[in-house]
Amino acid sequence: MCFVTGQFCIHTKFYQSAMLNKVELLISRVVDIVGRCLAILLLLMVLNVSYDVMMRYLFHASSVGMQEMEWHLFAVIILFGVGVALKEEGHVRVDFLYDRLSKRKKAVINVLGTIFLLLPLALLILFGSIDFVLDAYNSGEISEDPGGLPLRWIVKCMIPVAFGFLLFAAVGYILQNVEKYRSSK
Amino acid sequence: MTGIIMFFAALALLVVGYPVAFTFGSVAMFFGLIAAIVELLPNPSFMSVMEEFFSMFSMMPFRTYSIMTNTILMAIPLFILMGIILQKSQLAERLLESMGILFGKVRGGLAISTVLVGTLLAASTGVVGASVVAMGVISLPVMLKYGYSKKLSTGTICAAGTLGQIIPPSIVLIILGDVFQLPVGDLFKAALFPGLALVGCYVLYILVISMINKDAAPRIVVPEDEKKGMVWRAVLAIVPPLALIVMVLGSIFAGIATPTESASVGAIGAMLLAAAYKKLSWKIVIDSCRETVKITAMVFAILIGATAFSMVFVYTGADLLVEEFMMNLPGEKWGFLILSMLAIMALGFFIDFIEISYIVVPILLPISEAIGINPMWFAILIAMNLQTSFLTPPFGFSLFYLKGVCPPGVRTVDIYKGVMPFIIIQIGVLASLVIFPGLYGF
Amino acid sequence: SCKNQEEPAKTGSVEEKAAVPEKAVKWKLAMTWSSTLTPLASPPLKLAKLLDEMSGGQFTIRVEGAEKHKAALGILDMVKGGQYDMGHSASYYWKGKDMAMVFFTSVPFGMTASEQYAWFYYGGGMELMQEAYEKYNVLSLPGGNTGVQMGGWFRKEINSLDDLKGLKMRIPGLAGEVFAKLGVNVTNIPPGELYTSLDRGTIDALEWVGPAMDIKMGFHKIAPYYYTGWHEPASEMQFLINKKAYEELTPEFKAMLDTAIKAVTADMYIENFAGSVDAWSQMKTEYPNIMVKTFPKPVLKAMKTAADGLYDSYAENDAMFKKVLDSQREYMEKARAWTIISEFNYIETSKALAE
Ligand code: NA
Ligand code: NA
Repeated sequence: MCFVTGQFCIHTKFYQSAMLNKVELLISRVVDIVGRCLAILLLLMVLNVSYDVMMRYLFHASSVGMQEMEWHLFAVIILFGVGVALKEEGHVRVDFLYDRLSKRKKAVINVLGTIFLLLPLALLILFGSIDFVLDAYNSGEISEDPGGLPLRWIVKCMIPVAFGFLLFAAVGYILQNVEKYRSSK
Repeated sequence: MTGIIMFFAALALLVVGYPVAFTFGSVAMFFGLIAAIVELLPNPSFMSVMEEFFSMFSMMPFRTYSIMTNTILMAIPLFILMGIILQKSQLAERLLESMGILFGKVRGGLAISTVLVGTLLAASTGVVGASVVAMGVISLPVMLKYGYSKKLSTGTICAAGTLGQIIPPSIVLIILGDVFQLPVGDLFKAALFPGLALVGCYVLYILVISMINKDAAPRIVVPEDEKKGMVWRAVLAIVPPLALIVMVLGSIFAGIATPTESASVGAIGAMLLAAAYKKLSWKIVIDSCRETVKITAMVFAILIGATAFSMVFVYTGADLLVEEFMMNLPGEKWGFLILSMLAIMALGFFIDFIEISYIVVPILLPISEAIGINPMWFAILIAMNLQTSFLTPPFGFSLFYLKGVCPPGVRTVDIYKGVMPFIIIQIGVLASLVIFPGLYGF
Repeated sequence: SCKNQEEPAKTGSVEEKAAVPEKAVKWKLAMTWSSTLTPLASPPLKLAKLLDEMSGGQFTIRVEGAEKHKAALGILDMVKGGQYDMGHSASYYWKGKDMAMVFFTSVPFGMTASEQYAWFYYGGGMELMQEAYEKYNVLSLPGGNTGVQMGGWFRKEINSLDDLKGLKMRIPGLAGEVFAKLGVNVTNIPPGELYTSLDRGTIDALEWVGPAMDIKMGFHKIAPYYYTGWHEPASEMQFLINKKAYEELTPEFKAMLDTAIKAVTADMYIENFAGSVDAWSQMKTEYPNIMVKTFPKPVLKAMKTAADGLYDSYAENDAMFKKVLDSQREYMEKARAWTIISEFNYIETSKALAE
């Protein structure tokens, strides 16, 4: 019996690990796609700014809407980029100790840090910003400037959505580090 | 008091090595909770503490939104993209190499070239993150490749990349102009000589240190058979990328673009230049964009974490302590100047320059007026001082930004050590500005 | 009773207890401006001081400028959400939420400060303002006035409508819409880059506030033509109060707050007027090269037509906008007749006498 139970346990563990791997893979794929979209948006932003400069200088024709589009794109890039950078290890660390630690210890720091530092912060900002978006939505807020963009709530709602995305990426990051911990005994 | 403890808590947690941005943010969160309890003493019920805490942090979306809508910050991704394309297409490398070759037998040519390119970039942007990261991307790989020491390379880049604060246009000067009620144009003019003095001292330091410590900055060795026409080739390689950087500046001076927009001229220009050298491909463009997104997000995560940090710092009333301290500064010229400069430098460890400007300057201003200190001169002193705060460990933003684009071999310690001589130079120039204002036209 | 014995021990005497309510009130106020931007920042700072004194320290307000909360244009949301109990801002910043809000600041070719104050306090303006702010659960009260704002700095003279065509100008709000209708190339430049942009000719003109604040920006050195105002004849600032917080105040505190607000509101109008008087005389002597101009009549006429057209088109789709517009138009017609026969006539006669 005991033997069988042991077998079963190992099997479940293996099965769980495979499941987690799959989830992590899925998350990392989604984050990757978002990263690629952001790269395209950045290119669009560059073109957007250059177009506005050219129109104003050569044709004396500014469009406030197009000018606002610049920072709308910028906002999406910086907000969602935080999650992408997490997956790609783009965030700065102070490495006095960290660099000298073993892979396992690094993984532990990352898992605990994400659970106790990142997740609460992201949750707090996510839920804290819902009223902020609702205010804009309920009042049908639009740009204050002539010819500006309508539907201000869309860009404002990028805050909770992006922090939701950060949470999503953080789950993937935790799994990724759990995996690292396991694989580097 | 809570604010001071928070500072050390953040410091301790940072050493563990979890990303800086989230560490700042969550330390702020934790201390925000404590502050809410303190605020509600003697009877902090659970519900009321939570209410206070959530109300404090419901400021975060507003602060985040004001970062999103701050179009001046768009210069950051634009400049980074320009830098990365110049780097990936190897144009930056050729520019710096060739400049280095022109220095001939003089050592430190690459570092001096970095300072000079940094000065040009500083003249087209006033956003710190933009120029530090762009310079890091452009010149760090080249300097390391030619065997420059990590310390000298990173120190030079941090210092050169932070010049944008004092060399106009500059956000620090614009804000000080607002607080001091001085015309921005006049401040820009007044900052020019002190800024150039810094550049001169950096160059001088690099020359001296590379002579003393020959390992720090090796000469670029050109094989004998390539020496013929070398200078000419070097000049040819310098012209196009340098022209691009000058074009970025020119677009501001010709009234074509605002300083922020000029960065997009740089990004598009870098792509066209790479195309002209047949180094442009869709892959390079999209890879550069991805890299830029990642680095930009790193910068913004720090900004968001830092904004939570300073929000709680202010909430705990730490700013009131600072105000009190400032009120009690001596009413005698030298004592006042020295203590106020030290106090601003110390504050630079805790909060960003915008808050320093608005919290401290209005207190100092009437005192300095009573003593009869020239406000323009005093403003430049503060600007110079605030610039130093970007470089001072442990929380100098320039240091974090550069670390974010360093290859794995370069460690935080290298950057901290590398930037030290440059901080000393800055303090030296600041002191000379205090003692001999006449030298700088005051 | 027990309660009565406790209280006097704290406050000193029974008489004092009767005058001072038991519970101390600590409020926070957020301003759109930085704390150093006087006279705009003056009303909240003076309000806090007044209330502190009136209440013997029982009703205090912590005033925070934009440098602290970093959300200059989030004031309405923050007061509504309760992060701040009060705010100091200007109603036309909420134009994006509700077009009718512009009338509670100032509109192109609208009323002068005295006319508008009469409309607010005795002509139905306050009731309309409260109606407009009802859904935000805040109270809105007048909060100081800048008087006539100047029309802006131009690098070249405007002699005809053609000179406006293609002109690159930074001018926000309704005035921007009017200019856009006349062919001006209205563009957004962040305040931090205004000086460099005007200096380098990235833009040809910009609108700021009035002599005192404009001179500090140094615009006169790079754009010598300074045009007189038409677009913001009397910009009224605004105090916002969270309704729930207000309802919780004792009647005594409510009275103190109302009185103090009215006092500092009047005070800012006066402070700003005095500041402009000084700045103007300083400008005339220290910067004689500034060329003060008024737009030619055909240009002004076209602006007026464009503005009226704008109002009518907004009124068509927005019932509240129409309601306030009608009220202001009706009141202004009445008030202007009196202004002309009283102040304007007096100034004309004195001017004639002086000549
Ligand atoms: Na600069
Ligand atoms: Na104005």
